[in-house]
Amino acid sequence: MWRLVAARAAQAAAIVAIVATVTFALIHLAPGDPFAAALDGPTVAPEIRARWREKYGLDRPLAEQYVRYLANVARGDLGWSFSQHRPVADALATAIPNTLLLTGTALVLSFALGVLAALFQASRHGTLADRGTGAVLLVFYSVPDFWLALMAMLLLGYALPIFPVSGIVDPVMHEYMSGWGRIVDRVRHLALPSLTLTLLTTAVIARHQRAALLDVAREDFVRSARAKGVAERTILWRHTLRNALGPTITLLGLLLPALLGGAVFVESIFAWPGMGTLATKAVGMRDYALVTAVAIVGAAMVALGSLVADILTAAADPRLRDA
Amino acid sequence: MCTLRVIDVPVAPTAFFHGHTLQISRSMPKRFAAAVLVLIASLASCRDSGRSTAGGDAGGTVIVSTAAEPDFLLPPLITNVQGRMASDLIFDKLAEVPPDMNVTRDAAYRPRLAQKWTWGPDSLSIAFQLDPRARWHDGAPVRAEDVKIGFDLMADKKVNSPQAPNVGEIDSVTVRDSLTAVFWFKRRNSEQFFTAAYNVIPLPAHLLRDVNRDNLQSAAFARSPVGNSRFRFVRWLPGQLLELVADTANYRGRAKLDRVVLSIAPDPTTAATRLLAGEADFYEVLRGEQLEQAKQNPALQLVMYGGVDYAFLQFNLHDRKNRARAHTIFGDKGLRRALAMAIDRQAIVKNVYDTLADVPYGPAPRSLGIADKSIRQTPYDTIAARHALDSLGWRDTNGDGIREKNGVPLRFSVMVPSSSRARQNVAILLQEQLKRSGVDLQVDQLDVNTMIARLSNRDFDAVLSAWHPDPNPSSIRQSWGGESARSPNGSNYGGYDSPAFDAYVDSAVMARSGDAPAYFRKAYQVFVDDEPAVMLYEPRLVAGASKRIKLVELRPDAWWAGLADWSIPADQRIERDRVGLRAASQ
Repeated sequence: MWRLVAARAAQAAAIVAIVATVTFALIHLAPGDPFAAALDGPTVAPEIRARWREKYGLDRPLAEQYVRYLANVARGDLGWSFSQHRPVADALATAIPNTLLLTGTALVLSFALGVLAALFQASRHGTLADRGTGAVLLVFYSVPDFWLALMAMLLLGYALPIFPVSGIVDPVMHEYMSGWGRIVDRVRHLALPSLTLTLLTTAVIARHQRAALLDVAREDFVRSARAKGVAERTILWRHTLRNALGPTITLLGLLLPALLGGAVFVESIFAWPGMGTLATKAVGMRDYALVTAVAIVGAAMVALGSLVADILTAAADPRLRDA
Repeated sequence: MCTLRVIDVPVAPTAFFHGHTLQISRSMPKRFAAAVLVLIASLASCRDSGRSTAGGDAGGTVIVSTAAEPDFLLPPLITNVQGRMASDLIFDKLAEVPPDMNVTRDAAYRPRLAQKWTWGPDSLSIAFQLDPRARWHDGAPVRAEDVKIGFDLMADKKVNSPQAPNVGEIDSVTVRDSLTAVFWFKRRNSEQFFTAAYNVIPLPAHLLRDVNRDNLQSAAFARSPVGNSRFRFVRWLPGQLLELVADTANYRGRAKLDRVVLSIAPDPTTAATRLLAGEADFYEVLRGEQLEQAKQNPALQLVMYGGVDYAFLQFNLHDRKNRARAHTIFGDKGLRRALAMAIDRQAIVKNVYDTLADVPYGPAPRSLGIADKSIRQTPYDTIAARHALDSLGWRDTNGDGIREKNGVPLRFSVMVPSSSRARQNVAILLQEQLKRSGVDLQVDQLDVNTMIARLSNRDFDAVLSAWHPDPNPSSIRQSWGGESARSPNGSNYGGYDSPAFDAYVDSAVMARSGDAPAYFRKAYQVFVDDEPAVMLYEPRLVAGASKRIKLVELRPDAWWAGLADWSIPADQRIERDRVGLRAASQ
């Protein structure tokens, strides 16, 4: 087991290093820089911008900038964010917990809903209910994330004002609520962005889980249980589902990149102050240090997710544990 | 009912104990000390009970929805509008610009930190007499030294302030006495007073004297300032909100609102939806579908106000590859005028903005006091345009509908930002109008960063652009002046370089304030006759606000200028209005 963890960790470190290098190069090669002139107003004089570039070393060759960046990162200094106007580490420290809360909630909800939908479909295999559920999930899977987010906002936040349209908490009243009130307030604000991400990913889990359930349902031990007169409900929950969960656990690790990618738009639309919002602004403003740091953290989170999924799968399957 | 609250000083700001630490001597008789404590505790708990202590009208919360976040709250570092808005609400200037936005007449300015001012006999200095009642929000008095450090931080090369060029005409600021700051100018000009009163923001010397100027952006003050205006800073949660509350002991009187919250949503649609859904009380610019929805919303009021932006079709007067050579098409003034005559600006405005924009008089928006409607305009006359093109040798010889000259078709591309739907629509209308005169306009939609890069490299034929000028008329040099055209990093991207235009602008700037408008008028006329750009439209802005708010007039360059005088009648207050002045826990 430890060999597996060590090997996966080494792979993860290599992936993060490659992602950091590629991101650094690409964002520097894109047109513009953090101190480029504003489009519609000569707000900052050219000589001031030139001195800023000099101060932050942006007038140096790209290779030199990269070496300096790596040296600073090695010392734990992720640099200064030109879009957030504070150290990159500070910006990440406030954004990461928010993104983890959002994507974590969406992951748990989509897993639960996906498995439930798959159970529903598998138990009615081939019926209209099976096909209808599959079609509805496919629709959610197919629509663009930003469109679904806007529709959720307009329908459940504006037309039927059930949930707040944006933000992480009420900007004024949250501070004056009781402890329980604050939890409710936070959950209400979490509802729309997490619902959007959940709907986008539930279909993937449901389809995988349904296929796995149908595969397992054809196994001999299921037939034996049925022959012994075990109730269908017990067969489904206790025998089939337990044995069909393995591939879905693996899928959880693979879903993390999709969730983080979806969070970029969903966070921006719902004004959720997480890494997606940071990344959108940072890319637009050519905030080199923050873009690279977000890519590093994103890659690390994905690598960690894959590692956790591998460990869980190995823990569930003794054959893999000893491999 | 007031409840007794055990307090440990410092006492939060009140009229009596404004930010001072109360110390009770050990030798003080215990009974007296206890009585004083009870009295203070009662006063403090009354204030903290959620009700403002000011007059009956005061109270309420306004949530301003904004699509961007302030960059800094320390004036010398600020580059964006939201930073300026927050700074203006926290820090007072020496004097405020007149309501008519004519910034060259100092007599019309409204006193703020300065009670009065006196010009030196040679007009090279202005002495500002400070209001002795003015206090910083930590209780320290505002003194002349604060004016000096405000200027020093802007001018210091170590700070490298983006505002430095705005105070470049000031030689120094000296302290005559504790309440008199004297500005010394390098030369006399019509904008001296504006430069001192508007551009220099007094800052608390007692807090900033020892700050590291090499790294000012990292100073705590840059994100958590102590100001002197009618609102004081409470907290800033990055990406979420910035909260200000009324300064109850302010020398200009308490703000009528208890609290202003800038609620940040990075997406403009979300920022507007917050207003529509009642989660915010004000949004400064509603457009398109959101405006229609707001009209149908019974809880909202719409307020139209003039902006300071103007949009134009700018021509690159120089060859894209070789700046020393004139552009094949736009190097010819006669051709530029012919193109201008082929464009129906009224129709474009009507189609794209309906009544929410006007055709400009010239390169100064009508909301600024210096704008002049008597400027002779290039008429819309397609027959005259065709005749002019014919006489210049541009004729359609091959019958394809496009004019040619020496084998070169009258064809050019116009850059349009992909983020602006309005400009895309304008480009399509321009394309159609110019086509009727045998001109082939190709629309090039670009990402903003790519567009800026191509503008900076002068790699374009024409651009559909807009400016947001400063209130001082001389700022026109940055966008249209010859020096800016010749500088490789200047903002005059089209390279318009007219000695006549520059001379009139220089004369206007150096003239006595009363004579300046006449010179600016001549400069604007030269500009319109030269047509380095076709001035297309000045958008009018429509703000949306909750009906429960009583607004005051929105100033074109700073809608927030009167925010401290907005009010919410007691009978229309909702839950968040009743929070009072309690500071939110961090």
